[in-house]
Amino acid sequence: MSDTNIKCTINGTELEVKKGMTIIQAMTENAQRIAHYCWHPGLSIAGVCRLCMVEIEGNPRVQIACNTVITEGMRINNTSEKVKDAVKWGLDFHLINHPLDCPICDQAGECGLQDQYMEYGKYTPEMAEKKQKKHKVVDLGPTVVLDSERCILCSRCVRFTDEVSKTNELGIFNRGDHAEIGTHDGKQLDNKYSLNTVDICPVGALTSKDFRFKQRVWYLKDSDTVCNGCSTGCNVKVYFNKEGLFRVKPNVNEKINGYWMCDEGRDIYKFVNREHRQLKGQKYGAGSWHEEVHAGVAAKDAGQFLQTAKADEIGLVLTGQHTNEEYEALLNTFVNTFKTKNIYHWWPQEPKAGEFDGLLLRGDKNPNTAGLKEALSKHGITAKWADLESGLKSGKIKQLVVIAPENIFAYNDMEQKAAFFAQAEHLILATSVKFPGLEKASLKIATIIPLKSYIEKDGTFVNFKGDVQKFKKATTVVNEALTGVELAQLLAGQNLQIEVVPTPELFKAASNTRKDQVTLDHRKKNEFVFNRGRL
Amino acid sequence: MAVAETKYLTEFYHLPEFKGLEGYKKNGGYKELVKALKMQPQAIIDEVKASGLRGRGGAGFSTGMKWSFLPKNNEPRFLLCNADEGEPGTFKDRMMMEKAPHQLIEGMIISAFAINSKKSYIYVRGEYDDSINALTQAIQEAYKAGYLGKNILGSGFDHDMDVYRGAGAYICGEETGMISSLEGLKGQPKLKPPFPAIQGYLKKPTIVNNVETLAVVKYVIRDGAAHYKTFGTEKSAGTKLFSLSGNVVKPGNYEVPLAFPMKDMIYGLGGGFKAGRKLKAVIPGGSSAPVLTAEESERATLDYENLAQMGTMLGSGAIIVIDDSNCMVQCLANLTHFYHHESCGQCTPCREGTGWLDKIVHSILSGRGRPQDIELLIKVADNMKGKTICALSDAAALPVLSFVTKFRDEFEYFVREGKSKVKGTAFAPKGDAHVGH
Repeated sequence: MSDTNIKCTINGTELEVKKGMTIIQAMTENAQRIAHYCWHPGLSIAGVCRLCMVEIEGNPRVQIACNTVITEGMRINNTSEKVKDAVKWGLDFHLINHPLDCPICDQAGECGLQDQYMEYGKYTPEMAEKKQKKHKVVDLGPTVVLDSERCILCSRCVRFTDEVSKTNELGIFNRGDHAEIGTHDGKQLDNKYSLNTVDICPVGALTSKDFRFKQRVWYLKDSDTVCNGCSTGCNVKVYFNKEGLFRVKPNVNEKINGYWMCDEGRDIYKFVNREHRQLKGQKYGAGSWHEEVHAGVAAKDAGQFLQTAKADEIGLVLTGQHTNEEYEALLNTFVNTFKTKNIYHWWPQEPKAGEFDGLLLRGDKNPNTAGLKEALSKHGITAKWADLESGLKSGKIKQLVVIAPENIFAYNDMEQKAAFFAQAEHLILATSVKFPGLEKASLKIATIIPLKSYIEKDGTFVNFKGDVQKFKKATTVVNEALTGVELAQLLAGQNLQIEVVPTPELFKAASNTRKDQVTLDHRKKNEFVFNRGRL
Repeated sequence: MAVAETKYLTEFYHLPEFKGLEGYKKNGGYKELVKALKMQPQAIIDEVKASGLRGRGGAGFSTGMKWSFLPKNNEPRFLLCNADEGEPGTFKDRMMMEKAPHQLIEGMIISAFAINSKKSYIYVRGEYDDSINALTQAIQEAYKAGYLGKNILGSGFDHDMDVYRGAGAYICGEETGMISSLEGLKGQPKLKPPFPAIQGYLKKPTIVNNVETLAVVKYVIRDGAAHYKTFGTEKSAGTKLFSLSGNVVKPGNYEVPLAFPMKDMIYGLGGGFKAGRKLKAVIPGGSSAPVLTAEESERATLDYENLAQMGTMLGSGAIIVIDDSNCMVQCLANLTHFYHHESCGQCTPCREGTGWLDKIVHSILSGRGRPQDIELLIKVADNMKGKTICALSDAAALPVLSFVTKFRDEFEYFVREGKSKVKGTAFAPKGDAHVGH
């Protein structure tokens, strides 16, 4: 123990830290405040912003905390007047050529310059000379826009493309105070992780084309969840208000996604918003759509068909897009109440499933394939997709319940599948998105039941390597939509209970949680989170 | 008493033939290489350490000490010769490379043998065409004569040497900036630690020495440390080349022992001033060194400790003499423009601070200065000191601090009257010429 740990004193507090740790690491891990821009725990040390100044006893000069390794007995402080003065001036140097266009800047409200100036600033600006002019609205690529005047040249984005995405598109060009970020000749900032540069940009220099000018950030609430874009299960934060979701950013989880997420995952908020959603229950029969009904009514009516049907006439189609709790509730209903084992796994991209880009992105675009497989085997389900094909063709399966996938970007075979499912005598389609291709399909009888999306419910996903991750409901987009658990109860003819979370011992405890994670039991509904995480 | 140079390194520089291999050998060339290859490498390092030789590039760090920081193992290591002579006012390395390229090459092979390096580079400032040509030719001659390459003079020691041409950036004279440039990266200094002696060029142990330093090694081997120490003082041993420039009658390179009186340098070797002019100020060690007033310069001696005591430095040995016809605000504007132009832009205080200083000085110079600008210059410069990766920020701040404090009356006059105390006019800025580029 003592071989790998050493003692030091930071701002009067005695700490035991791992050997080889830098001062800034020790300080951030022990909740000590320190100004910084260029240092990022997921990137190499640049040591260029010169803000993380600390005073070390015995050293007459202030030192940067990011490149100073702690030695035994080191006494460090960053609260002395000397350090405060250095940081004040350091910030002023950052700001003398900054345009201070906060009112029209997308970063305002979550800007490192604003935040740190409030905390450490000099408050008496003395710059009276002309500011440096640089390029504005530089189109770096399909996702990101650059404003060079706002840039503080911390080089985080350059290091990201060099070290993490390893695509090397960005560089710093020119010298001195006319240095600018830019893309190398003939290149664009175009990689699967490009939007991380926007996250790590401490100022408004890099902005996301998707998000910019959509919302002021102080009108957004945020909530932690797990990305449902693929089987990696990155921990993410979704930003929303009553108009819907606006963006997704990564949360730090060293075990799963580190500090990053892919650009594809950032689109997952789109199919949650109302324009893509199935809002009401719908029925189809005798060649036309009937009036819209309440989701619960649609589910209960459909349930009556199922309760009266023969066991082997009932089929259920599931995808790896839903939570463990929903699988359990649905399988329990179908296997134990309806006594059927005609349960099929809709799996659209078999050949791509094993793909992995080496960083985060996986070919299996389902967040919970592992959870589904486990649930199926637990209930002894062995049915194959081919059985469904033959069952529908021969008319053996009459009542087909389909729990449709949420991610319409990942499932590109939905139109063909609509036609395929339409062969059933009665198609009961529970879907959170407007299911494409239904208009063209030759339906016999159909019931459409709106489902809640993953943002709108508590639940558990199991990622590709078996990490069990719980997430809480972030917000409600479609108020009357049902969760899978509620659907299962209604189909079985039960009434909804107020407490819909099934007995907890049925489910695994989360094997992967973050320190700052709010547990299901302690969540506060729609809490307004001021703390927007680390810079 | 006539003041004379002490021609130790430059003994044969007046002979044109000294540039070629034959002429160099005729005048004692490569004898010390033969001698050194028979010595123990550690003995060479000890001898250099004992000679008290300090780096001639500017920092004045003990050369023997620097060499002994190398790890004691067989890891490949590099010797780099810093010939990116960019410090304004300095032109001694250029003369050495043009007049005696073999002297440097011999010094380098001996040094490389001492630190067991099999590869060295001479990083020459891009504008120095003649130096590059001279060195390239001399290296070819040395290869042919068997002083470079495999198994040098049958000693079993292999060494290869190359000339690398810089692209004219001042910052590449900083040793880690030079290493970055040599690696093909943008010429920007690297974070220390790790220091180059542990992790330098291509992440291998690397020693970077100035041209003059490496040339001296040959003479330390020839005459021994004890003889070398007879020049100069205890802490500033040996002779040094000084580049004398500015308003003196006879500017040029002069070799004198350290602790040589500056007065003799200016009035004796330099030939004093034009009729009717008198000394106003001296920048003693290249443009980064704080300026000395006339009174201070007349009692200064040219050695590390005396100049340090006076709050300035010996630096690269570039003595810039300023007479009373010059406006100090204008002189400072020249310097701030240089540092603004040459800041690499990596560290914020330097990137933004050099520009800020430059803009303030130029606004004073154009007659638009505000009374608070003088204090502001001091505040900005103060906060640029000791805050960055390399010393360029300090180099930009120190002249500002010394000019403004020592010649404050001229700055105050300029701000008050809107014109120069010496020249009687203001100087309109030439477009945006002083801002950037």
